Amino acid sequence: MWGNPRFPCTWNYLKKKYEYEMDRMVRWPRDLGLDVRMVVTMVLLMVIYFVFLSVLAYLGVETIILMGIMVLMLLLQYFFSDRMVLWSMGAKEVSEQEEPRLHETVTRLCAIAGIPRPKIAVVNSNVPNAFATGRNPRNSVVAVTTSLVSTLSQGELEAVIAHELSHVKNRDVMVITFAGFLSTAAYFLFRNWLQYGSGFTSSSGGRKSDKAALLIIIPLLAAVVWLISFLLIKALSRYREFAADRGSAILTGNPSQLASALVKISGKMESVPTRDLRNVEGMNAFFIIPAISGTSILNLLSTHPTVEQRLEALERIQREMKG
Amino acid sequence: MGWKDTLDSLFGKTTLPKATIDDLFSISTARVTMESGLNLKPSTAAGLCFKPIESANFPATRTEIEELLQLSSRETGTTYRITTDEFRFTWVVLEDPDFDDLVTGIHLVSQTLIERGFGTYLLCAVFRFEDTKPVYWIYNFKQGQYYPFVPLADKKRDNAAEFRMKSLLEKELPVEKDAGMWYPLWGIPL
Repeated sequence: MWGNPRFPCTWNYLKKKYEYEMDRMVRWPRDLGLDVRMVVTMVLLMVIYFVFLSVLAYLGVETIILMGIMVLMLLLQYFFSDRMVLWSMGAKEVSEQEEPRLHETVTRLCAIAGIPRPKIAVVNSNVPNAFATGRNPRNSVVAVTTSLVSTLSQGELEAVIAHELSHVKNRDVMVITFAGFLSTAAYFLFRNWLQYGSGFTSSSGGRKSDKAALLIIIPLLAAVVWLISFLLIKALSRYREFAADRGSAILTGNPSQLASALVKISGKMESVPTRDLRNVEGMNAFFIIPAISGTSILNLLSTHPTVEQRLEALERIQREMKG
Repeated sequence: MGWKDTLDSLFGKTTLPKATIDDLFSISTARVTMESGLNLKPSTAAGLCFKPIESANFPATRTEIEELLQLSSRETGTTYRITTDEFRFTWVVLEDPDFDDLVTGIHLVSQTLIERGFGTYLLCAVFRFEDTKPVYWIYNFKQGQYYPFVPLADKKRDNAAEFRMKSLLEKELPVEKDAGMWYPLWGIPL
C-alpha cells in the first residue's frame, strides 16, 4: 500500500526524515513506568472532563458563557503567568554584570541542551529554593533565591538550574496551568450550580421528581469530579518533578549533584520557621522543593514526591549511566 | 525543534541534541577572509570545552585523548594543555603556529569524544583571532554552527563587531542566524 505510484517517494521521505530525527537525538534509557503513568494521568483527566462536559451540555446554554469567561481566564493566566509569578514572589531580574556566575551556569547548560537562554531572576529569601516560569522556552524565567546561591556548591547549583531548565524545556508551566485551569473550571461550575440550583425548582412541565434528583446528583458529581481532578493534577505534578529530576541528571551528566543539592535544601528547609514559609505556599507547584514539607501532609495531596523517592529515582539513573 | 522533540518534551522526556562536526573545518577557509576583509590574524591557540560527567568510561576516554594529543604533538608540534575552569568544565587548549594544525587537532579531540559517546557534553570549540582585543569564532556543536564573540570589559560584548564578522563571513562559514543563540562565554582560557 505504501508503494502508491502517484506518490513514489512520500513514504520513503517520511521514513528517512524520521530516522534522521531519531538519529539526531541521543536516546537515553527511557523510564517506561514514568511515561505510562503520565499518559494514564492525562487520559484519566480527559475522560473526567469529557464526562463533566457532557453533563454540562445536558443542562443548557448558560454554561457556554461560563466557558467563554474561563477560556479568557486561561489565556490571561497563560500569557501573564510569568509576570504574575515573578511579581508575587518578589523576584527581580538580574543582569549578567550583577550575577555573572549564575548567568554563565545557565548559559552553558542551555548550550548543551540546545535551548535559548531564559531570563534570570533572584528572590531575596533565606529559604533555599528555585523555580521556573513562562509559557514557552522563549519567554521563560528561571529564578533562584539568594540563599540557594550561597548554600550550594557550583555542581549542586548547576544541577538545580538544570532541573528548572528541564521544566522549561518540558513546558511544564503550560501543562500544569492547563490541568490546573480545568480543575478550577470544574470547581467554579460546581459552586455556581449550588447557587443556581436553589432557584431552579419552579420549572415548567416535565417530570419534577427527575429534576429534583438531578439537582442533588449534579452538584455531587461536580464535587467528585473536582476532587478526582485535583488529586490527578497533584499526581501529574509529581510525575513532572521526577521527569525534571531525570532531565537534570541527563543535562549535567551528574545525578549525584542533584541528589546532594536536594539533601542540602531539604535539610535546611526543616530548620526554617514556618512563619517565613507561609508567603510561598501558593507557588509550590513550580518550586524545586515545596515550602510546606513535612509529615503532616498526605503524599497524595503533595505537588512534589518526597525527597526520599527522588533520591531513589536519581540513584537508579546513576546506575544506568555508570553501567 | 521538530514535532518529535516537542512531543517528547510535553511528555517530560529529556533528549539532548547530538554533536555534529561536519562544518567544523570551514573555519580553515574562513580564516583567509578574516585576514583580508577585517585584517584579523588567527592566534596560535584554539580550545575545546566539554563537560566531564559521571560515567565509568569517562576516565578511559580522557586518557585516550591525552595519548592522542601526545602522539600528534610529536608529529605536528602542536602543544596542548588540559585545564578545568571555575564552572568545572574541561578545556583542551592547543597551541600551534599553523592554523590548519589547530583545526585538525580540535577536530580529532571532538571526534574522539563523540565516538566514545560523550558528544552530547561538548560545549564548544573556540578559535581566537588577534585584534587590539581578542575576537572569537565559537563553534556550537549542538547547532553545528559558528557564531562570533567579541568580549569587552565588564561582561559586555561588542555587538557591532560581531555583526560585522557575521555579515562578512556568512557566505563561507555556517553562522548561527538566531543571535539569541550566540551564547557568551566569559573567561576563555586562551
